[in-house]
Amino acid sequence: MVSIAPKETQDLNQMEDEAFRLHVRQWIEANYPADLRNPPKRLHWDENKPWYFKLAEKGWLCPGWPRQFGGLGLAPAKQIIFTEEVERYGCARTNDHGIVMVGPLLINHGTPEQQEYFLPKILSGEHIWCQGYSEPNAGSDLAALRTEAVLDGDHYIVNGQKIWTTLAMDANWCFLLVRTDKNAKKQEGISFLLVDMATPGITVKPIINLEYHDEFCEVFFDNVRVPAKNLVGTPNRGWDMAKALLSFERIYLGSPRLSAYAFTRLRQLAERMGVWEDAAFQETYGRLRLDLEDLKSLYGVFVDKLRRGETLGADVSMLKVFQTELFQRITDTMLEIAGENAGLLEPMEGNRNLNPTGLYIQARPATIYGGSNEIQRNILSKNVLGLPG
Amino acid sequence: MSQALDDRSESIRMIRDSAGAVAPRGGDTKRVRALRFTDPGFDKGVFAQMGELGWIGLAVAEDAGGAGLGMSEAVALTEEIGAGLAPEPLIPAMLSARLLAAVEDKALLAPLLEGGKVLLTAWQEKADTLAVHGTSDAPRVFIPMAAGADAFLLPVREGNRIALHALDAAGADVVLERTMDGGNVGTLRADLSRASRVADDVGAVLEQALDEAALATAGHMLGLMEKAFEMTLAYLKTRQQFGRIIGTFQSLQHRAADLKIHIALTRAAVESAAAVLDSGATGAVRQAAVSKAKARAAESGLLVLRQCIQLHGGIGYTDEYDVGMYLRRGMVIANQYGSATLHRRRFMALAPEDVE
Repeated sequence: MVSIAPKETQDLNQMEDEAFRLHVRQWIEANYPADLRNPPKRLHWDENKPWYFKLAEKGWLCPGWPRQFGGLGLAPAKQIIFTEEVERYGCARTNDHGIVMVGPLLINHGTPEQQEYFLPKILSGEHIWCQGYSEPNAGSDLAALRTEAVLDGDHYIVNGQKIWTTLAMDANWCFLLVRTDKNAKKQEGISFLLVDMATPGITVKPIINLEYHDEFCEVFFDNVRVPAKNLVGTPNRGWDMAKALLSFERIYLGSPRLSAYAFTRLRQLAERMGVWEDAAFQETYGRLRLDLEDLKSLYGVFVDKLRRGETLGADVSMLKVFQTELFQRITDTMLEIAGENAGLLEPMEGNRNLNPTGLYIQARPATIYGGSNEIQRNILSKNVLGLPG
Repeated sequence: MSQALDDRSESIRMIRDSAGAVAPRGGDTKRVRALRFTDPGFDKGVFAQMGELGWIGLAVAEDAGGAGLGMSEAVALTEEIGAGLAPEPLIPAMLSARLLAAVEDKALLAPLLEGGKVLLTAWQEKADTLAVHGTSDAPRVFIPMAAGADAFLLPVREGNRIALHALDAAGADVVLERTMDGGNVGTLRADLSRASRVADDVGAVLEQALDEAALATAGHMLGLMEKAFEMTLAYLKTRQQFGRIIGTFQSLQHRAADLKIHIALTRAAVESAAAVLDSGATGAVRQAAVSKAKARAAESGLLVLRQCIQLHGGIGYTDEYDVGMYLRRGMVIANQYGSATLHRRRFMALAPEDVE
């Protein structure tokens, strides 16, 4: 039985909810770097690692992991409070793939050897992970992926290409979906491999996005030798594990935080542009406000389910669709009232709070990543409404 | 906490079950159709049954003869009423019961709670308002199902207070207009000299009762949306064109997904507002919660009901097919107790900005 001592010795589940909330809030306010609140872009490891190490040192890096594996072991209701406080203060998202994806994957499906080797290195910040899922011809249709791994003695030989790999240049490990059986149905020939990014044959090329930011990468695999012991779970069953991991992502993408953040900036911009009192603007603003409030109510419905320990169904896609499209409508309105500032590269007047163009561009991929909204609507119509084929 | 929650979901489930006896969700619309464009436009026997089931006094305290339940149960009930298209003026009766339960003279309350007498509150002086002016000689307008009233309750302003008078419907000057769903609304020109005084000041309780009626109406709309959408989904799964089930067409699938999102938002808004009221919220907090729910229900409600017609194609535009009845009822209730615009404005005027 694997046992990793948690750094946080106190069982925070014993605290009353409000006391816990205050405890988390005070610690964040005392420890989060003030200049990194609500960063306009996804931060790189160099900028982010002081915060990652603070969390690691405190033992708060992995709130959802069981204490046995060095996590905080928070009950669902406490995890939600923890997330709310992180979002409230505008803390940057860390390089968190190890925390939210690899950790839960290994805890559920890893061998004791894999758990013992990898989990402590995520907890310490020694291993930073990236996610090798999408490929040039396998985006929305992820199961069509073709990067292949062929067994050769005690190694897999990996060949192929991944794309949209977030912050791959910062990562020293990659969890990879590969095809291990070309003859099976497309969902049934996929496996999970853990790959050291220092292995010969791996090339990482940053992609500059519409924010002029190198958040994504292409990752090329040319005869990369991966020890067979780095396969997670059962060969050819990787798709089911990958799907189970996405349930976290679906509620995360439906959180009102992006829309709420943009909404506060919309008001600041309207005041600066002198349209705050304008009746037409107020009409639009009121609609957006109520949409945001109803999003919060609907989010609350799903959060309550998690709080009760239920697993979320496919209907959580409703949140992703509405949240991301609301985020876009808010930023559309910002651009509309910004006048000629709508063409500026940098925030207005050097004020990061007056950044209509930055938010407008950031809102674009929200309806694409995590399963495009068109795919989400397919999921809703088939799995929730039961519409045919 | 969780015990209280369990009790609550149990009482909501029981209310939903009991509603099935009067307004069955899956039932045919024969009864509803037969009552259209008749007088009074609803069935007084069914109204009495609603009283016997405790619905009219649902939110009235038990010691006043009510069921002592809350808005969470009330919106569950009105949702079922909407899904079953029952034309009986339950929400206006609940409003009257709320008023009469708060006044000292309880003589009128019992017959209303039992469903034996239809008492409608004639509070409104113009379209699209929640304000009670209580002008003594102003005609009172848009009284739902006025053709079936046994008596009217009249709020009349006296300085800072709103007194309540009761007026027999027999002999009253009431002009009826038909509504789109086959019901009616009345305009009452009241002769106060014929009325009897019931209470000196119902201003505060009337304001609260109107909020509750607005929220109950949002629940009614939710029921219309759910049922019409259910019919539409069934149609999408069976209707064939071009040799295919039309529900396989992605454009229709995506539209259906969007309508589902609107329904989910409406449910979240309505049920969370009911929880706010049941927690004892007053003043701006109560009004903001109600306005948030009613604005959503009115706007998303009509959107969903319109789209249900569209997704049916030509058959949806016929009177013979039931889905149109949901749109027509939706048109009648969308602006009752305040339109989406009124409630959006009220929300914006009230709700504290929770910005950093």
